[in-house]
Order: sequence, then C-alpha cells, then structure tokens
Amino acid sequence: MREALLFGGRRLARAGVALWLVSTVVFVVMRLSGDPVPLLLPPDAPRSEIFRVRAELGLDRPLPVQYATFLGNVARGDFGRSIHFRTPALAVVLDYLPATVQLGLTAFLLAVAVAVPIGVVSAVHRNSPLDHAAMAVALVGQSAPTFFLGILFILLVSLKAGLLPTGGRGDWHYLILPALTLGIFAMASIARLTRSAVLEVLRTDYVRTARAKGLSETLVVAKHTLKNAAVPIVTITGLQFGVLLGGAVVTETVFAWPGMGRLAIQSIYNRDYPVVQCVVFISAALFVVINFAVDMLYGVLDPRIRAR
Amino acid sequence: MTGMTRRELITGAAAATAGAVAVLPRPARAQTTQKRELIVAQGGDIAFFDPHMSTSSNDIRVSFNVYDNLTSRHPDGKLYPGLATEWKLTAPTTWTFKLRPGVKFHNGDPFSSSDVKSSIERTYDPAAKTRVSTVFSTVDRIEAPDPGTVVFHTKKPDPLLPARLAFYGGQIVPEKYLKSLGPDTFNQKPVGTGPIRFVSWTKDDKAVLEANPDYWGGKIDVDRLIVRAIPETAPRVAALLKGEVDAITQLAPDHGDRVNANPTTRMIGALYAGLYVLAVNSKVKPLDNPLVKQALSLGIDRDIIVKELWRGRGIVPNSMIAKGDNHFDASLPPLKYDAREARDRLRKAGYKGEEIVIETTVGYTANDKSMSEAIQAMWRDIGVNAKVEQIEYSVRAQKLRDKSFKGLWWSDPTSTLSDPDGMFWRLLGPGGPQDYWRHARFDELGDAARFSVDEKFRAQAYKEMTQIFLEHFPWVPVIQPYEDYGIQKYVEWTPNPNQQFEIRRFNFRFRRT
Repeated sequence: MREALLFGGRRLARAGVALWLVSTVVFVVMRLSGDPVPLLLPPDAPRSEIFRVRAELGLDRPLPVQYATFLGNVARGDFGRSIHFRTPALAVVLDYLPATVQLGLTAFLLAVAVAVPIGVVSAVHRNSPLDHAAMAVALVGQSAPTFFLGILFILLVSLKAGLLPTGGRGDWHYLILPALTLGIFAMASIARLTRSAVLEVLRTDYVRTARAKGLSETLVVAKHTLKNAAVPIVTITGLQFGVLLGGAVVTETVFAWPGMGRLAIQSIYNRDYPVVQCVVFISAALFVVINFAVDMLYGVLDPRIRAR
Repeated sequence: MTGMTRRELITGAAAATAGAVAVLPRPARAQTTQKRELIVAQGGDIAFFDPHMSTSSNDIRVSFNVYDNLTSRHPDGKLYPGLATEWKLTAPTTWTFKLRPGVKFHNGDPFSSSDVKSSIERTYDPAAKTRVSTVFSTVDRIEAPDPGTVVFHTKKPDPLLPARLAFYGGQIVPEKYLKSLGPDTFNQKPVGTGPIRFVSWTKDDKAVLEANPDYWGGKIDVDRLIVRAIPETAPRVAALLKGEVDAITQLAPDHGDRVNANPTTRMIGALYAGLYVLAVNSKVKPLDNPLVKQALSLGIDRDIIVKELWRGRGIVPNSMIAKGDNHFDASLPPLKYDAREARDRLRKAGYKGEEIVIETTVGYTANDKSMSEAIQAMWRDIGVNAKVEQIEYSVRAQKLRDKSFKGLWWSDPTSTLSDPDGMFWRLLGPGGPQDYWRHARFDELGDAARFSVDEKFRAQAYKEMTQIFLEHFPWVPVIQPYEDYGIQKYVEWTPNPNQQFEIRRFNFRFRRT
C-alpha cells in the first residue's frame, strides 16, 4: 500500500512540474509572438488609446511582474479575463470543453472499437490477405491529412449521397463525420500497435506451452495473449485519448464544430493570451490525468509493475 | 477594418480538394419556398452583440439588423431615413435630427432622443471602453431638447455627420436597459429597435434571432434568423449546395462557378465599398521617388489579375476613390498597364536595382499572397528587383502601428462613409495610420474638403487631389473586388457594398409559390 501511495505521489509531483513547465512556455511564447492591442483597435486609433488599452490589460508592466501575477492567479484557478470576449478566460474555455469532450470521446471509442479487433485478427492471421488489406488501410489512415479526409467525407457522404449534415453541432447525426475524421488517425496507430504487440506475445514460450497443452486457438488468444499484450496497447490508447481530447483544431475547423481547438486557433490569431494559456493548461491537465490513469492501470494489468 | 475574419486556415488545400471532386448534377428543385426561417453561414462567429464593441464584419452583419441607426445607407449607396425621419444643417456646426415617433425597443421601452444622446456619447466615453471611440471625434456636444429632436454640435463644420451616423458606432442602444443591466449582460441579452431580436447564442455554433413583429419598417419576410459560423470555405459552400443554409458570406471567386452550376443556388455580389491597394512606405528609398512609384503602377497588368486571380469578380480602379463613392470621377480611365513606359520611367528615375519589398499576409485580404507573387513577376519583367516577404496578421498589425513596413503592403481601405473623406483621407491624411508621404497642396485640399459643407468645392478639391495622387502614388491601387455571397434561388436579396448583411423589407424576401 505504501509503495502504491509513494508511486502515486511521485507521479503527481511530476504532473505538477509538467503543468508548470507547459504554462511557462505558453506564457513566454505568446508574449514573444506579438502584441494584442493593435488587433483590438481600429487602425486609426491614436497612440493615447493604445497606451490606455495596454494599461487596462496590464501589458505595460514588466514581464517578470506579469509572470508572477500569472502564476499566482493560475494557482487560484484564475486565468484572467479574455481580451477578446471580455469575460473570465476559464468560463470561456469551459463553454467550449463539452463539445470537445463529446467529439474526442466518440472518436476515441470508435477508434478502439474498430482498431483493437482489427489488430488482433491481423496478428492471428499474419501475412494473410486480410492482414495485408487491414494494414494497408491503416497506413492510409495514418498518412492522409485530416483536412483532406474531412472535406472528402463532406463532399462524398454529405453532398453526393445526401446522408449526413455537412457540419455544425446537433444530434448524433452531426457527430459521425467529425468523429470518424478525427478517429481515423488514432484508429490506424492503435491497430498497428495492437498487431505488433499481439504478434510478440504469440511468439513467447508460454503461448507455445498453452498450445502444446491442446488449448483451442481462441482460448490461447483470448486468455493468454491479450492480457499480456495489454500494456503497450493501453499506453498508446491512453496517449491517443489525450491527443484527441486536446482539441482537434483541423477537424473542428472543417466541420464547424464549436470546440476548444477552434477556440485555441481563434485566440492565437486574436493574441488573446489568457484564453490561449487557459486552453493549453486544460489540455495539458487532461493529458496528465489520462497518463496518470494509464500508469495506475499498468498496476492492475501487470502485478510485476505494482511490486516495483 | 479591424478583426476582419478572412482568415482561412487551409483554404488553398480545401479549394484544391473541392475542385477535384465534381458535384453530380441533381434534378432541379423548386425555386420557391414556404420556409419561415433564414439560415445564414458566415466565416467566423459573432464576437459581440454590443454594437459599440466591434467593427468586425462578422459582428456588423448581425448588429445592423438588431439595431437601427438614425440614418440608413441602402444598397443603392444613398442615405435614407432610419430612426431619424429628417435632418438639416441648422448652422455651420449644428445638425438637427427629427426622430421617428412611436418606435419601441424589443423590451418595450419607448425610443427617444435621450437614447440617441447616450448612445453616441457612449462611443467616445473613455469609461465605456468601446472600439468605435474615433467615429464621432468631430462631435463637440449633443442636446436632446425634446423626446423627438436631437441636436449635434460639431467642433468644425462636418458635412459627413449623417453618413457617420449610418455606419458602425451609430447603432442606437437603449439607455435605460443598458444602464440597469450593465454592458456584460447587455452583450449577452442585447436589445435594439431593429427588424430582428435576440433569442439565444451558442458560441462558435449559432445565434438564433426572431423577427420583430412590431418593426417600424414592417415585419421581415421570415420568422426566424439563424446565423451559423462555418470557418472553411469548402464546407460552407457544401452546406449551401446541400440546402442546409439559405445564404453564405465570403464566397471566394473560385467557388462561384460551382454555386452557379448548381441548379438551386446562385452567386450574388456587390462591388466592395473600398479598394485593395498596395500601400507604400514613401519614406524608404527608392520609393521616395514619384517616378519609381509611377513605374510600379504602370508595371502591373491589372486586367490579368482581375481575370485570372479573381475570375472577373472585380474592376480596375482609376484613382484612390472607389467606384460608388461621392466624387468618383467616371471620366478617368482605369489605371494603365504599359511595360515600356514603366521601364522608361525607371530609367529616368535613375533606378539602380534597389530591392523593393512587398510584405504580404496570407488571407488577410482575399488573394493577397497570389496577387503579391503575380505582381512580383510583373515587376521583374520591367526590371524591378522585387521581393515578396510573408508576414503574420499580428506582425502586420504591429507594423501598422509602428509604421515600420519595408516597402509595400496590402491594405483594403473600406469607405465607411461612401465618401473620399472616410476612405483615403482617413488613412493617408496627416497623422493617419498610413501617413508616410506629405504634399503641401494635397494636405491643404484634404483638410479644406473635410470641413466644407459645399459639395461643389469638395468635388473640385478631390479632382485636384486625384491629379496629385496619380503623380505620387502613396498607394498603388490594384483592384476593387466584388463581395460575393452564395444564396438559394428562392432568396431575393440585394447585398450592401459595406459588408452589412441587412435583411429589411426593402432588400429581402423569400420567393413564395
């Protein structure tokens, strides 16, 4: 128990450091990349107006002071007021979070539901036409750019076949195309990794033993192989989940999906520091939480890790 | 204009994909409708319903329908009565407006002169922190002697006050409601006197509005208006072709053919109230030499640019005054292309192959990068050592502020008042945002025209200024493009050149069976 707590504690500390690093990098990069004030005011605004707005936003203070204020506020969950929307940044981001979680979760479930069985079947029937076909499709899925796939889906499925809406957020019909577009990349990498993980286990001595005992192939795969291949699969799946939740900028833009990715890109254009900082912080936090959960899952899946 | 959302992340690739997949012909559907709802898709979301907090085209398309102005500029370019029924210059610096009686705000409050006074004063009140604080800088004070009369006293004679009141900053907001709720709540639950009233808003998804049944200009032809944000061009066009939306904004010229080829949709446009110009930093060498700038203008084959890059959706300008504006001189020929003459002037100027830089954004104005590359090639043909450098939006905004452009850059001056004063003089005048070149006579005339209420004198002044402009080229005008929209054929609508998306009785209805 003490080991488990220690393990968890170390992980938590590391997560905290990661979040601090991420927020610092965003803080610095955003300030290096430009001043939001000229974008906020009409081009003929007098200089006095520019100075007034800079002071109003606190941008006239020295960078270290701005940084200290920023860190102190973040520790209290205050990301400042959005420069563009003029409302608290956290509230703005939380408005967009449900749409992103809905899309990310659906894409993720879709990816796992399709990819894991395909990976296992490909591994078991290695070098069969089925395996070759599946892996070729996976290769395409992994290399086709998202915007290309998205627009292709819109033109073929929505416009030509007239089946699904072209974009926007509504009932489940609206979810299918963006989730598929977003999920395909994750699907491809999970399928490929599942295949190689299962293949590796199938070559081990205990599988040979199981087969020698006369166990049916189904039982060998289901009982002896899958559980042992689970650790790498869970790792890649967790990573992909984090990626999917981090806001899918391109997919959300193509499908006019009102999520965090679109908010992020708009906020970068607007130099809306507080919102960008908040989006990145929340994405990083989600990523860290998922990684933490994956680490904990290792322990459940593999007693050897728990003991360490 | 600020914050204009012509930011298409991956337009090039999207357009290529869209072009590759041809749309199958479908049977023609009815060109009439029984719909009671108008759905409009634009390139970006609304940021503010509070009309004094934004000048972005995505916002004014909606705010000019939720609110009314004292005066109203119709698609024909003329000023018509709005919340004011008549207005007169009662002294050289005094404009008196008679207000329309019996008008009510959406919440039932009666509209009166104190709303006008507080609205306009709010625009330049430092405490209100509006983004239209410079629009009424000519106003000295406003009086509301009775509920139906407003008197504006200007610092100097201001011939354009009625025109200023028609555009952004001039939307009238309810004094009592705004005061009791505060600006944040007002922005969430806006109230105006316009033909549509607010229902709900889901950020980056859609805004729902409904017709104001008691509108003084008559109830509009639909019961509901839905405004959706579809940032990418190809999906926006697909939504129109599929019939999910009734109208789309920012239709790029290369998508126009698809929209017209589809049996149920068509493209419609208005000549942009403004120009696309290459603004010039006339302080750097060799751009301080008028002969060099004349050569640069002569070296651009604008007809090719209009035909190839804009598919014919634009016209070649003849000066710094946009077609459609007051004092546009239709007798002047379009800016000439003459490569031989250009080389000649470069030689006379003693041009030694100094580098001339165009700093371009990608997608800040439509076609900015491709036009830069075309012009670079044309200029190389006349022996100019031209270079194109790509910059990001915020860098451009920063350079505008610091006046630190290396040579030329794209600008899309909007004519906010349908008058040269609100366009080139606002930008190129002394102390203006594009003040890189001064000329004593030009400045004298510009100043005199700004404060004169004698249109004959103003016409003469702008004529003389045009001659000076065409010698010195503080801008190199390139094109006056069309602002195009895609609509279903059952939509009968006339667009406004100023990017307002007005839907009022005088310019919008559905074709019914």
